[in-house]
Amino acid sequence: MWDCRWTEIERPPNYFCLTQSRDQGGEIAAWIGILLSCSAQHCTSRGSWNCNPTRQPAHTARHLILGCKPTPTGQTDRPTRPHADTTRQSQAAACEVAMESPTSAASRPDFFDFLDRMRRPAAADLFRSIKSFLVSFSFNEPNAEEDGSKVQAFLTKMEDAIRDHPLWANATNQEIDHALEGLAKYIMTKLFDRTFGTSSEDAITDMEISEKIGLLQQFVKPHHLDIPKVRHNEASWLLAVKELQKINSFKAPREKLLCIMSCCQVINNLLLNISMSSDQTLSGADEFLPILIYITIKANPPQLLSNLKFVQLFRRETKLISEVEYYLTNLISAKMFIIDVNARSLSMEESEFQKHMESARLATQISVASPSSSQGLPTYARAHKEETDLAGSRFPFMDSETVSLNPEEVKQLHDLYRQVVTRYTLLSKALRKLSIDEDQLLSSVDDS
Amino acid sequence: MGCSSSLPATNAGGGGLNNVNSGNSDIDSKNFRVKLVLLGDSGVGKSCIVLRFVRGQFDPTSKVTVGASFLSQTLALEDSTTVKFEIWDTAGQERYAALAPLYYRGAGAAIVVYDITSPESFNKAQYWVKELQKHGGPDMIMALVGNKADLHENRSVSSQEAQEYAEKNSMFFIETSAKTADNVNQLFEEIAKRLPRPTSS
Repeated sequence: MWDCRWTEIERPPNYFCLTQSRDQGGEIAAWIGILLSCSAQHCTSRGSWNCNPTRQPAHTARHLILGCKPTPTGQTDRPTRPHADTTRQSQAAACEVAMESPTSAASRPDFFDFLDRMRRPAAADLFRSIKSFLVSFSFNEPNAEEDGSKVQAFLTKMEDAIRDHPLWANATNQEIDHALEGLAKYIMTKLFDRTFGTSSEDAITDMEISEKIGLLQQFVKPHHLDIPKVRHNEASWLLAVKELQKINSFKAPREKLLCIMSCCQVINNLLLNISMSSDQTLSGADEFLPILIYITIKANPPQLLSNLKFVQLFRRETKLISEVEYYLTNLISAKMFIIDVNARSLSMEESEFQKHMESARLATQISVASPSSSQGLPTYARAHKEETDLAGSRFPFMDSETVSLNPEEVKQLHDLYRQVVTRYTLLSKALRKLSIDEDQLLSSVDDS
Repeated sequence: MGCSSSLPATNAGGGGLNNVNSGNSDIDSKNFRVKLVLLGDSGVGKSCIVLRFVRGQFDPTSKVTVGASFLSQTLALEDSTTVKFEIWDTAGQERYAALAPLYYRGAGAAIVVYDITSPESFNKAQYWVKELQKHGGPDMIMALVGNKADLHENRSVSSQEAQEYAEKNSMFFIETSAKTADNVNQLFEEIAKRLPRPTSS
């Protein structure tokens, strides 16, 4: 990973050594995941924009998508503009595409190039600015909105600084952009603990959304949201769900945003494939939004509100525009739909909706009782140890007749019944914990 | 959906419209970007109109956009300005109506579409017009569009009625057919002409 290279820079390690992220293993796994899903998408989508760092495939993709012929390069130059300018523009355009993929071959080397430049003594002034910027945060209490505008202002300032810096003399727009992405990732990784999910209000909303989604998951079906049968595709949906669930594997706003974009991209690819195979027009928002809402319910992405807020406040403003802004808005509206969901918005009778919610709540209570035990298990088990030892002979009433039991024995039987239930519950909790651990073990093996 | 998929793909340069590369997103007095939001009942052909507009003029430099819910297209106008439309589609089903403000916030233009064969969709269009007047930006350019004009034998919303309604609400009115491409370019050209030009660079 590129950020590890920061540690190689010969600077006092206390402020230029990236804190080793605790979830680095998960991060690497997620990157591999993106790589895999990216290549999978590429095969099915005929031009996933995530995987098209160059313009040529873009033409091909457009040719396939829109049924238009690609024109040879060169025809695109605007006659009114000097040639050099046009070259810069097309580089910027190529960059715009390439920048959407952290793993694309085109964008990677530029991070290294940036770090190479930063390692030179001439970059010392930039380092000083970055350091004093990071230190300046320690003077104030965390405040997401204020911190957001501070970060945005700093990035804007640094854009000019980098553009005018001798190290970036004659650099293309793309190189400068990559330098800024590197910088943004660096400072946001440093400020992550301060800026992400720190508001307790948001944490409560996150939990409420997650709980609500947990209930909706159990009864909301595609038809409740106007998703026609012809658009159903469980395999693609699962891929979209997985993209969205990756959102907490990343710390940089850009990478969190990429998870959202990849999810939307999978849905769009699905709609594209359906329209091509059924010879229908590409569908618009009438079909996109319902699927995104359904995917969001299926995925139950962690800390949904906090993630959305974080991206809105801390993603570089100049990058949070047009298409990216549109798809982010779609996820925001999916969140809003879920928060406000009611009988009417799912075309149900009020009584039916309430019945569904109630039984979902019951089902959740039963299943939630167990996993929450993982930490409490040992003490709970100890408390009951004495009781279980007192039971004496293991199955005292197995051979007794019901009618022959006296009140004292009934009481004893009742106590035994309690113990059996307690043991059974503990046992199933333990089993559940074991199987979760095993899953984690398995997935870590898969990832490595 | 309500429009044919076998649209002939006409290539660049037709109809006095030229396509230009607007690879950078800088806004100046000659090249500007506008967010345009599409509203209307589901099934009236909102996205068909836009697809027709975007397909009709092939822009070889535009970034790949796989979805049809967000599309962008750049128009060059006679006064040598260029307008890059960034077109935001919205879900037209009743259950998603409450989400629309998230989409039309900050839009410079709005197209409210109805189907000339469906009086309900015209009622819905009037609902959107009221919504935009209440909550949209004061300078938003609004267009009322009666789509599916090719189905005139099934017409149930008279163009005179729609025209009067549009005038009363200071909107621009046009009937289009995404199927035959009638008036589709005119719609966007007219919006482009009415957009306030940015004064500073």
